[in-house]
Amino acid sequence: MSVNSTVVAALVRRDRLIVMSYRLSFVLELFHGIVGLALYYFISKTFAGFSSSDLGPAPTYFAYAAVGIIMGGVLDATSSGVGYRIREEQVTGTLEAVSTAPVTSLDLCLGLMGFPFLFASARAAFYLVVAAILMGLDVGSTSWPGIVLVFLATGAAMAPIGILAGAAVLVMKRGQLISGTLVFLMSILAGMVFPVSVLPDGLEALSALIPLRYAFDGARQALFAGTGWEGDVLALVAFAVVLWPLSVLLFGRAGAWARRAGSLSEY
Amino acid sequence: MTGEPVLTIEGLARRFGGRDVVAGLDLDLRAGDRVALCGPNGAGKTTVLRCIAGTVAPTRGSVTVVSHPAGSLEARRWTGVSLSQDRSFYLRLSGRNNLLFFAGVRGIPRGEAVRMVDALAQELELGAILAKRVDRCSTGMVQQLAFARALLGVPRLLLLDEPTRSLDAEATERLWRAVEARPHLALLIATHRDDDVARCQRRIDLSCL
Repeated sequence: MSVNSTVVAALVRRDRLIVMSYRLSFVLELFHGIVGLALYYFISKTFAGFSSSDLGPAPTYFAYAAVGIIMGGVLDATSSGVGYRIREEQVTGTLEAVSTAPVTSLDLCLGLMGFPFLFASARAAFYLVVAAILMGLDVGSTSWPGIVLVFLATGAAMAPIGILAGAAVLVMKRGQLISGTLVFLMSILAGMVFPVSVLPDGLEALSALIPLRYAFDGARQALFAGTGWEGDVLALVAFAVVLWPLSVLLFGRAGAWARRAGSLSEY
Repeated sequence: MTGEPVLTIEGLARRFGGRDVVAGLDLDLRAGDRVALCGPNGAGKTTVLRCIAGTVAPTRGSVTVVSHPAGSLEARRWTGVSLSQDRSFYLRLSGRNNLLFFAGVRGIPRGEAVRMVDALAQELELGAILAKRVDRCSTGMVQQLAFARALLGVPRLLLLDEPTRSLDAEATERLWRAVEARPHLALLIATHRDDDVARCQRRIDLSCL
């Protein structure tokens, strides 16, 4: 599968121009996660003095939960981005126009998640800075190459879910709700805001099969221990290697189905 | 014009629900051919164009563009399309950024895309339209933009669905001048307008299929 960088760049640039044309919304999107950070900061202060080995390398509950909040935007962008963008294109009528161009399924998927991922990553970095400066998040031991690699590997591992969401939207029109529900459930099981050790045994074992588990664990290791994130990155890469070809294939099949049904221009 | 067909349609049929919207169309277009697709509302004109563009798969029959199956990457590379113009642009972007985007998804490098858009803007007198956001353009302006988009990438086959419906006389004249300036192009235009049909060499009435 080869990638046409001109096509991908055109899709990313388009999304950047559209997002930035809604100036107030852009600013609000940049800042709204700080509310979530503040919420968990004050929850953590309520239980000041509580410590638990269940939090892994995170020194406090706020540190533990902050990783979930910071990673959350990246997860949303990659796992829901394609489905949401396809749905928008259906409603505005541009999906058919783009489909008449010689765009491969792979280029379309990469292009549709490109800007949301880049924006979400930049926003995550911003939240990290805010949490460190204003809320006392300790980043003294952070492995910065490690956290970058965890972000990239998380994007790569979660993107197939977004692509499958896009396939669902092509077939079912409002299928992006499926990915949203799936990601929410996975977040609960993977330790986004509470340790997996508090889950019943069966669910804790299930969490080992969820790529998000390695995303959160890897991010916490990179941020608070500076080491031990390498295995999580490898696990995420393995998920990506297995899931990408399958999801792009299914996306292409969904497009073919929509052409047979004559529903590409419908919404 | 002679030479290999740019477009070959054999026994094209398309069924929606229990009804044949198109039943058994045969058509060859070569470089330079100008063919008008006519018929009353619901006769299947847009459906035929969609089957050629590849956004709808035929129920029966075959369609090839420059010997490639309709809808394949190669076929799409050679086809310029203008369908449902009023719902096919990014409303928050200017006409210029829309055209640059569609040039980009055709794989045209940025520098070349800028030159191409500038040339089309001059040829079709689109300067004012390209500077405006599409949601601030009239229907006629959007139709002119859609025609310009169809010409991106030097297509060999042009599919136009009622492209002059909302155009004034000057804009219509510019459209046809642009078509005539491209003798290599095969044109299939769905239209109700007699003056558009008069500019074509052949007329196919889908209600007679």
